[in-house]
Amino acid sequence: MSTKPLLGVYGVSYRFGSKQVLDSVSFELERGDILALLGPNGSGKSTLLKAVAGIIPLHRFRQPGCEGVIRYLGQDFTHVSSRERASHVAYVPPDLRAEFPLSAEEAVLLGTSCHSPSTTGGSRSEEAAVRKAMELCLCWHLRTQDLHTLSGGERQLVAIARSIAQGARILFLDEALSRMDLNHQAEIGKVLKSLASDGYAIVLVAHDLNLASEWAGSALLLRAGKQVALGPINSALTEKNLRILYPGCELNVSNSPFTGAPKVFFGGARPDGR
Amino acid sequence: MKRSNPKWFFLAGLLTWLASFALSLRFGAVVDADWKLIAQLRIPRALLASAVGMGLSTAGATLQALFSNPLCEPYTLGISSGAALGAVIGSALGLQWLLAGLTGSAFIGALAFMGVLFVIAHRPNVSNLSLLLAGVMLGFLGSSLLALWMALSDPEGIQGALVWLLGDLSRARLSGSVASIASMLGLLALIWSRSRELDALLMGEEDALGLGVAVQTVRKRLIILSSLIIAICVSAAGMIGFIGLVVPHFARRFVGSLHRSLLPAVAIWGAAALTLADLVARVATRPYELPVGVVTALIGAPVFLWVMLRKRATP
Repeated sequence: MSTKPLLGVYGVSYRFGSKQVLDSVSFELERGDILALLGPNGSGKSTLLKAVAGIIPLHRFRQPGCEGVIRYLGQDFTHVSSRERASHVAYVPPDLRAEFPLSAEEAVLLGTSCHSPSTTGGSRSEEAAVRKAMELCLCWHLRTQDLHTLSGGERQLVAIARSIAQGARILFLDEALSRMDLNHQAEIGKVLKSLASDGYAIVLVAHDLNLASEWAGSALLLRAGKQVALGPINSALTEKNLRILYPGCELNVSNSPFTGAPKVFFGGARPDGR
Repeated sequence: MKRSNPKWFFLAGLLTWLASFALSLRFGAVVDADWKLIAQLRIPRALLASAVGMGLSTAGATLQALFSNPLCEPYTLGISSGAALGAVIGSALGLQWLLAGLTGSAFIGALAFMGVLFVIAHRPNVSNLSLLLAGVMLGFLGSSLLALWMALSDPEGIQGALVWLLGDLSRARLSGSVASIASMLGLLALIWSRSRELDALLMGEEDALGLGVAVQTVRKRLIILSSLIIAICVSAAGMIGFIGLVVPHFARRFVGSLHRSLLPAVAIWGAAALTLADLVARVATRPYELPVGVVTALIGAPVFLWVMLRKRATP
């Protein structure tokens, strides 16, 4: 029995050139959590996820302005091979695209490559894992279609399936819900909820605050690389915090008639012209 | 997306290769060739064409994954020209004994050009097309330096330069051809044995990192293996373009992009394609021979345009 969190991110700072992209950001994730990562453009959301997922190399943490500790069940991530890290944490890109013909099923199969790169793949157990992941993400029926013939929402389902096939229990979804109609948003939301109840932990980057508050239980608010708020969605998504994030906007927070989740109404630019 | 069974595609490739091989022995510049001519000239030549075709196609498929760019291949990226330049300079300096014949210095040339391309590819805001343009320019530079070197070192050197620039399989000797085939098969097996790392690179380096691939290590390995393949091909047969582009694209239409099936298909069809192209080069303008690079470019350049424009049409 462990009391260590599934994922712990402590004091992550990141500097790119002369710009401090992240400034001491910390959060913890438990199984079943859905955390919304919110903030204006350039606030460091993607950088945070990429740093934790190892796409931005962790060894840069030894450089000035870059530091932080990332622990998976208490184990320091800097000492973990990229292959093992990928079997815990997966970064789901905003859009899954290939310049080459690739069916949805083949794209998901790529997720299993991290486990056995020296084999040529396609074994029964891998095929079963791919099928299970695609069924979980409601995209098994798309398996024979080429990636570029799918709609943005369908591709997103395939991308999530790929990270599940990768074996990861922690999923970082970067703008997963943007460019998608309501039906697809609802479908992805359903998939995310069922994954969370299966014990997956999910971080959701979103620009649409209302969509994020619909699915997420907690939120981390970033502005210019600094942590503005972290906590349950009801206490984080307040008018006071949002004014720090979006100082130029007139905003009002009310509760959803369906779920009671905080919903943000946009009232145009603020008259005081800030 | 319906795909045929890869087995049929492999079998068809094998049959095409065998047929081209047999025709290559039967037809040539001389109409009534005797057995001696066939054994001394045509068999080694057809074997070398098979080895080089196999090698250039495999290198093309590898480079396309490595740069996540479907328009890459040894010739258009200028790497072949780096290898040829290396070979010419190496032989002029008398380094054959030191560096395993021309192949060693060709390898150094190929590696140097590949290094420049990687520096360019990792600069910010370099698109697929600008990387390709950089490669084409690098190719021009290498070819011009090669022609200049040969013209300066020997009054008739410019004739020799043409052989390098347009490709030539006529220097094939049996022992060399057999060695080329064997080393190609070995290198191909090395790349194939870790084909999933190539698969993971199909959606770019960042994506491969997210999938847990140690991209730095994989990249170094693939650069060395593909430079070696290109060096062996170019030092034996000069610069032959577009085989590395046409064959992988053709094969992907039948077996898809995953390298477990793609690489063997590309190897078989590459051998068949260059054997066939060389047959055409020898027979089409009989009794004169066309450089084989002329034939491959006649087919390859339009295919290149087609791939590029089709890519644009479906953003």
